[in-house]
Amino acid sequence: MSVHAISIDPATCTGCGLCVLACPADVIRMDAASGKAKVVYGGDCQVCYLCEDDCPAHSISLSHDITNPRRYSIYDEPGGTF
Amino acid sequence: MPGSIEVLHTDVLVIGGGFAGTWASLRAADLGASVTLVDKAYVSKSGASTMSGGITTCPLDTDDMDLWAREFIERGDYMCDQRWTYQLLEGQRERVKDYVRWGVPISRAEDGSIRRFASRGMIDVRGMQYQPKAAMIELRRRIVARGVRILDRVHITELVTADGQWPSNGAIIGAVGFNIYTGQFVFINAKRTIVATGMIAMKGTHRVDNDTGDGVAMAFRAGGRLVDMEFTFGGTFNVLMKKFDFPSYNVAVAHGARLINARGERFMEQHDPVRLERGELSNVVAAFAKEIVEGRGPVFVDLRHVDASYWTDLAKLHRGGSILLSGHVPDPRVNPLPIEPTWGLWASGRSGLQIDLGARTNLPGLLAAGSAAKNDATGTHASAGSPTAFAKVSGWHAGETAALESRQTDLESAPQGLIAMLQEKALAPLNRARGERSADRLHDDLARLESSVVKSMILSEGRLNELLQGARDVAGALDQTAAGDLHDLVKWHEARNVSLNAEIVYRSALDRTESREQFYREDFPMTDPGWFCWHGVKSTGEGLAFDKQAFPQEGARFLPEHQHSGLGPIGAIMSAKHQPAKAL
Ligand SMILES: Cc1cc2nc3c(=O)[nH]c(=O)nc-3n(C[C@H](O)[C@H](O)[C@H](O)COP(=O)(O)OP(=O)(O)OC[C@H]3O[C@@H](n4cnc5c(N)ncnc54)[C@H](O)[C@@H]3O)c2cc1C
Ligand code: SF4
Ligand code: SF4
Repeated sequence: MSVHAISIDPATCTGCGLCVLACPADVIRMDAASGKAKVVYGGDCQVCYLCEDDCPAHSISLSHDITNPRRYSIYDEPGGTF
Repeated sequence: MPGSIEVLHTDVLVIGGGFAGTWASLRAADLGASVTLVDKAYVSKSGASTMSGGITTCPLDTDDMDLWAREFIERGDYMCDQRWTYQLLEGQRERVKDYVRWGVPISRAEDGSIRRFASRGMIDVRGMQYQPKAAMIELRRRIVARGVRILDRVHITELVTADGQWPSNGAIIGAVGFNIYTGQFVFINAKRTIVATGMIAMKGTHRVDNDTGDGVAMAFRAGGRLVDMEFTFGGTFNVLMKKFDFPSYNVAVAHGARLINARGERFMEQHDPVRLERGELSNVVAAFAKEIVEGRGPVFVDLRHVDASYWTDLAKLHRGGSILLSGHVPDPRVNPLPIEPTWGLWASGRSGLQIDLGARTNLPGLLAAGSAAKNDATGTHASAGSPTAFAKVSGWHAGETAALESRQTDLESAPQGLIAMLQEKALAPLNRARGERSADRLHDDLARLESSVVKSMILSEGRLNELLQGARDVAGALDQTAAGDLHDLVKWHEARNVSLNAEIVYRSALDRTESREQFYREDFPMTDPGWFCWHGVKSTGEGLAFDKQAFPQEGARFLPEHQHSGLGPIGAIMSAKHQPAKAL
C-alpha cells in the first residue's frame, strides 16, 4: 500500500500533462527525465478525483484507505461507540 | 538576491477563479474592461465551486419571488439587506437561464423540465441539481474567448495599498504574488480589484484545501471591514465511517436520506417534525451532538429510503469516485452507515467582507464576491444552493461595478520601493533556516483546534480563549518557520492567513455575548435583541475594533413581528426545548 492516496502508473502514462493541469493541490508535476507525470507532493492530495477524471490513459488510481490526519472523529473519543 | 518583478496593468483584477471570480471576469469583460484573473491553481479545476455538491437555487419566471424572498428573510431571522435578497433571486433566475442555454448538464424530470426540489432548510424555495465542474469548464472557455488574461498557479500574497500602509487610508491598487512553479514575482496594478478567494476554512479538514480565506485576511490587513466573523463557525455531515468523504449531505437529504441513532430512532422527529433532517444544519448538527453526548451514538445515515434519482444522479452528475457505491463501504442501499459532521471554520457567506449592492467593500478600489464576502441576501440561515447562487450573482455585480468604475479611473502607481519590500517579505520564508515547525505542522496545529464537533459547537469564554491561544501560537511561530520550496511557501502564506482569520473569528465570538442561530455560547445561552445587527470588525494596526450596525430600513419589505429572545436554538436542542420555526 502506498503512503499517499494517489499513485500514477508510469507504464501506461503517456505524459500528456492533463493531470498536472487538473490538480488543485499541486500534487503532480511532470518529470523532466522520464517525460511522465510524477507524484511530488503526495501528502497534499485531497482525493478530489479531478486528475483521475482527466487522465485519458487511466493511469491514475486513488485509494480510499488513506486516513486524513487533520480530520478528527468523535467516534475515536474515549467511550466512542464505534 | 531577490528576483525580477513583473508588472502587469489591468482595468480589473480578479483574485480567485471559482464561480464568483469567473462570473465577475465574464461580466467585466462583456462591458469592455481589460480583465486579469489570477488563481493559485488552474481556473475551472479549483475551489469550492468545482467541488460543490451541485445544488443551486432555481427560481424560474413563473415563481412568485415575494414568496421566496420572504422565506429567505424570515428563515434568516431578518438579519440581512432585503434589497440583496431580491437582487440575488432576480440575478439567479438569469444565471439559471445561462446554464440552460450553455448546455450545462442539469438533472431533469421525465418530461424534460428541470427537476426541482425543496432546498434544505426551506419549504417554498426550490433548488436544482447540475454538474458544477461542467459549469466551471464552460465559464473558463467563455472568459478565454472574451480575452480575459488568466494567470493560473499564481498565489496572491498581499493587496497593494496606494499609501503603502496596512491598514490603509488610501485605495487598493492591485495585488502581488508569485508563480508557484517559477517563483516569478508579479505586481498586477489595477484600477479595481475583486477579492473572490472563497471560503474561510482550515486547510485539510474539508478537502477544498485552496480555500484558506486568503482574500479575507489580506483585505483585513489592508483595512477591510469584516462582519459577523463568529458566524464562521459551521459545518456539515461529511465524514462517513470515520474516514471517508460523504458526498453532499444537502443532496442526500433532498432525496430522502435520514439520520438515525444507534436505537434506530429518527431523532430529528423530536426537534423539527416538518423539515426533519432538512432543517437548519446547525440544528441538525446540535441534535447529532446531543445523541452522542447522551450515549445514543453512533448516528447513521440511512439511504434505504432515497428515491431512485439519487442513485442515477450520483453516477451521472457526481465525480466518478463517489465512495458510496465503490464497494469500499457496505452497500448503503441496504445498510445504514455511521456518519458525523465537522464543525469549525466553514463560512459560505455567513461571514466575510461586507459588500454593498454593487459588491463594493469599505476600501476604495476593492470589491468582493462569493464566499469571501458576507452574503447579505440570506441572513443567519442560508438554504442549500444559495451559496453558489450568491457566488454567481455577487460576482456578476462585482464585475459590472468594477468595469463601469474603471472607465472613470486612472491607474494609480505604487509608492517607490513598496513592491520590492512586499516581494522580500513574501519570499522571506524561503531564505530562512529550517526551524522547529514546518508549514505543514502549522496547518496540523490549526486543524487540531477544530477537534470534536461537540467542543467546537459548545463555546464559552474559557474554550474561546483556548482556541485563541492556539491561533496566536501559530501566528507567533510564522517568523521562525521556513519554506523548503515554492510549494511549501504557498502553505506558509496559507497558514499566515488561516491563523489570522481564526484569531478574528475567536475574538469576534468572545465579543458576542449571546447565542443566536448556529452560534452557541454556553455562558451566554440566551438570544439578546441587542445583537440584532451586523457585527463589524476592522484592524486598527494595533488590534481589532468592533462595531454594531443596524440593518437597513430601505427596501425592507418584511418586518419581524418581534425580536428573538430566550434560549438560542442550539441550547434549546441540547436541553430538548427546541421549538422549530413555524411553517410559513
Ligand atoms: C464540498 C462542498 C460542497 C458544497 N456544495 C454546495 C452546493 O451543493 N450548493 C451550494 O450552493 N453551495 C455549496 N457549497 C458552497 C459553494 O461551493 C461555495 O460557496 C461557492 O462555490 C463559492 O464560490 P467562490 O467563487 O466564492 O469560491 P471558490 O469556488 O472556492 O473559488 C475560490 C478560488 O480562489 C482561489 N484562491 C484562493 N486564495 C487565493 C490566493 N491567495 N491567490 C490566488 N487564488 C486564490 C482558489 O484556488 C479558488 O479557485 C459547497 C462547498 C463545499 C466545500
Ligand atoms: S485527487 Fe485531486 S488533489 Fe489528489 S492528485 Fe488528483 S487532482 Fe490532485
Ligand atoms: S493525465 Fe494520465 S497520461 Fe496524462 S500525464 Fe497524467 S497520468 Fe500521464
